[in-house]
Amino acid sequence: MSYGTPARAALLAAGLGLAISSAAAAGTYDLTVDYVTIDTGDFTRTGIGYNGASTPPVLRFAEGEEVTINVTNNLDVDTSVHWHGLILPYRQDGVPKISYPGIRPGETFTYRFPIVQGGTYWFHSHSGFQEPDGAFGALILEPKAREKYRYDRDYVVQLTDAHPHRGDRIMRNLKMMPDYYNRQQRTLLDLIGDASEKGLGAALSDRADWGGMRMMPTDIEDLQGFTPLINGKGPEQNWTGLFEPGERIRLRFINSSAMTFFDIRIPGLKMTVVQADGNDVLPVPVDELRIAVAETYDVIVRPREDRAFTIFAESMGRTAFARGTLAPRAGMEAEVWELRAPPLLTMADMALDPAMAGMDHGAMMMEGDAASGHGAMMKDADLPPGAHRMPDGSIMGGPGEDPFYAAGSGVTPEPAMKHGRFLSYKDLKAADPLYPDREATREIELRLTGNMERYIWSINGVKYADAEPIRLQYGERVRFKFVNETMMTHPMHLHGMWTIIDNGTGERDPIKHTVSIAPGTVVYTETEVDAPGQWAFHCHLSYHAESGMFRKVIVEGGPTTDRAALAPASGG
Amino acid sequence: MTTWTNARGAPALAMLAALAAPAGPDARAEPLIWGIQVEQAEYRLGEDGDVAAWDFDAFVGTDELKVVWRSEAEFAIDEEAFETLENQLRVQVPVSTFFDAVAGIRVDTPEGANRVHAVLGLHGLAPQWIEVDADVFLSDHPAFRFEAEYEGLITNRITLTPSIEVDLPFTDDAPLGQGAWGPKLELGLRLSYDLVDRAVSPYLGVYYERVFGESSLLASREGKDPGAVYFVAGTRLMF
Amino acid sequence: MFLLKTIPALAAAALLATTLPAAAVGEHGQGGGAGKPGKASQVTRTIAVTMYDNYYEPEAITLKEGETVRFVITNKGALVHEFNIGTPEAHVAHAPEMQMMVDHGVLEPDRINRDMAKQMQASMGHGMHDAPNSVLLEPGGTGEIIWTFPEHAELEFACNVPGHYDAGMAGEITLSH
Repeated sequence: MSYGTPARAALLAAGLGLAISSAAAAGTYDLTVDYVTIDTGDFTRTGIGYNGASTPPVLRFAEGEEVTINVTNNLDVDTSVHWHGLILPYRQDGVPKISYPGIRPGETFTYRFPIVQGGTYWFHSHSGFQEPDGAFGALILEPKAREKYRYDRDYVVQLTDAHPHRGDRIMRNLKMMPDYYNRQQRTLLDLIGDASEKGLGAALSDRADWGGMRMMPTDIEDLQGFTPLINGKGPEQNWTGLFEPGERIRLRFINSSAMTFFDIRIPGLKMTVVQADGNDVLPVPVDELRIAVAETYDVIVRPREDRAFTIFAESMGRTAFARGTLAPRAGMEAEVWELRAPPLLTMADMALDPAMAGMDHGAMMMEGDAASGHGAMMKDADLPPGAHRMPDGSIMGGPGEDPFYAAGSGVTPEPAMKHGRFLSYKDLKAADPLYPDREATREIELRLTGNMERYIWSINGVKYADAEPIRLQYGERVRFKFVNETMMTHPMHLHGMWTIIDNGTGERDPIKHTVSIAPGTVVYTETEVDAPGQWAFHCHLSYHAESGMFRKVIVEGGPTTDRAALAPASGG
Repeated sequence: MTTWTNARGAPALAMLAALAAPAGPDARAEPLIWGIQVEQAEYRLGEDGDVAAWDFDAFVGTDELKVVWRSEAEFAIDEEAFETLENQLRVQVPVSTFFDAVAGIRVDTPEGANRVHAVLGLHGLAPQWIEVDADVFLSDHPAFRFEAEYEGLITNRITLTPSIEVDLPFTDDAPLGQGAWGPKLELGLRLSYDLVDRAVSPYLGVYYERVFGESSLLASREGKDPGAVYFVAGTRLMF
Repeated sequence: MFLLKTIPALAAAALLATTLPAAAVGEHGQGGGAGKPGKASQVTRTIAVTMYDNYYEPEAITLKEGETVRFVITNKGALVHEFNIGTPEAHVAHAPEMQMMVDHGVLEPDRINRDMAKQMQASMGHGMHDAPNSVLLEPGGTGEIIWTFPEHAELEFACNVPGHYDAGMAGEITLSH
């Protein structure tokens, strides 16, 4: 399905209304929340959708526009709509019990807020498990200024992990049996394989190490058995975007999954990443990128040949793939690839777990370091293109190791293509820094913690139900220190304010709404506290958020009217 | 066959109504979690007669507190009588990362003498993925029970589950064939296949039980064999 | 502010000239490739090109075959940009060289690091050349190219700062009779 050619800036003529921004274009939109039938090609089930359709809708607003959105709840339970990544007054943010009470069955709630930014975003229900059940859509905010990249076609590529089970049942199953959905556990047959490879003693001792901790190296996807969808279509249904050879295509990748990270590539095409989480970045050409749950990445591709290309998105645990096609003509297909071998976590992925700190992981860590093939161990002949040895022996250029993964981590991205370039957070540089680069006023440590066996996820060891809110002062710049003590990757999402990832770029540190924290890593982010009110802050894995990795953030002080609250952000 | 699923969960729910009130300063009401795990629903073919047996936990609760209805029964087909019929109402509270403390009541109503015990125990996951229960039963006829089970994956759908249970009575209980310090040992080995998710997993296996010490003497006196081997067929259920 | 606003193809050309000899300038010969450097006396017209993030104004240029043109290029963006005349293939081939400059810290998003350029030259032995078909400008910088176009060629002007070309910072040059 085509979303048509971009209507760039078409709606923005009125954007010059000077001081009173409400003089800008004002649009009224209607959304109904309905029970719909979801057909993935693998299974059919009842889910939740908007405007009666199971295909996620695409809403297009213009920067400077005052939007009025009437959301009518046709479900028999409460619902809500959260505008993910949007800077808006907190009462419009759509999180029940934090922003507002929610929307009761049969009621219509009217959202009213100004659009103060451009870019690719999305929206979803923040009630129960409605989002995993299908309640999400795409948001395209047309920026006022001319975009920093050129394209002839514009497609949303919205990914999800549709599951045959309803969300509340999944939650219950995970609570009852955390490995309920893990069908990639190591088995006796794997043990025999390992034993023939590295000897029975080593194989058994590895099993004993993991068993001793009561942890699983295969624990990468809590939820398996889903069918990945692109814009509501399963791999067999093959969502297709059309192009003329030589055209530039903007693909707006949005990961609306409940639980699944995807490694996306389009074999045969370089993808130039131009935007992350709605904010432009300096363009980065890559061969592959990993999209965490709730993130968005906009890429430009330029197919010059008159043939089809497969958009291939493997789940991080390699249990399933999403597939779509870019083609000059409808009905064309390109090769669909095999899933790569599933990764296994290593001891490096739990290096920060205090319970494991006393254990001797020396041997395994060394194994991991060797596997990363870095430094002096690499022969010149193996050097990737663009890389070369410096006089001091170090290697410059080419894809290096990714500081956003623990050294030797089992989930470090490996490009499918030999010497291919995999996007890292370290490659992201803000094209338009929103704030001056200043020293943070204080640091808040957030340890990401959990008890896998009980399926309780928490922050600093305390789950949401037992936690005090995080209190921030309006006007401060807070530095968050995320320490991931679990063995899972957590996409942390702060509502209402930007998350600036410290990737060492200084004033061009990328500005995001979701930061993915890999196991065994420490990641720093900074937030200019410029939005009064109360906000949600949580892991965006649906079942982690629901089981406790969630906080309420209260911003104290600052302007009291909603309009004033928006001033700092809209000025940026 | 599945009469036990007509759950009498009412008492459990009533208890929880009082306990599940949110406690945290920023509490959202966490939904109650519930589930039924039938470890055994099986038919045992034995030389000295067949037995139908079940062993299940039905629970409802939160992360902090669960109420579990645990039921175990052995129904002798020929005698048309329950050799064992044991129901426990247990309250579980986490005490460590992997273990819960248990307190509750156990009511035995098999053919013949009935018994009521208070229960104190531990339930959890030991290293190397071994699921463990250790319970002390307090009454006129106190006893100790230890159960352990390991799910060995042959493949991701075929599971070989060895299990062991030891019951140790501290006093004589002649009507139940128990002699003081004469343990009863139960060993099982069941090979299951996950037919429908993890909800329905039929299995085949062997089951061996034997009494020792005083209990063994009691059995001999009654002309019973202290040990018996069964071939079992049944299914695990989880929903 | 930087002393030197105009870096005519400074380090880019260094790499270009050593590792990709004449690729951009046209290894098929001066006439059959992208053209050749022109003489000021032959200039028939001057075209002003403004560079923004990440696009040009104008976005396409129509010229006469064999014409000699003076390009006056101004960088009004906030990033370093290049104006480079070449075939699409040459631009693609040029990209890894520019990436290497980024990796060496020579090419920063909004400035050219001359210290790093010197280090790179010392460590890799690449000499500094002028490439007459391109100009690399820091924000606010201006530069000039005089170029004689060939009879037939498929040409683009493009910015080969990594990612910029792929993001669409390129324009077509149409040669008419």
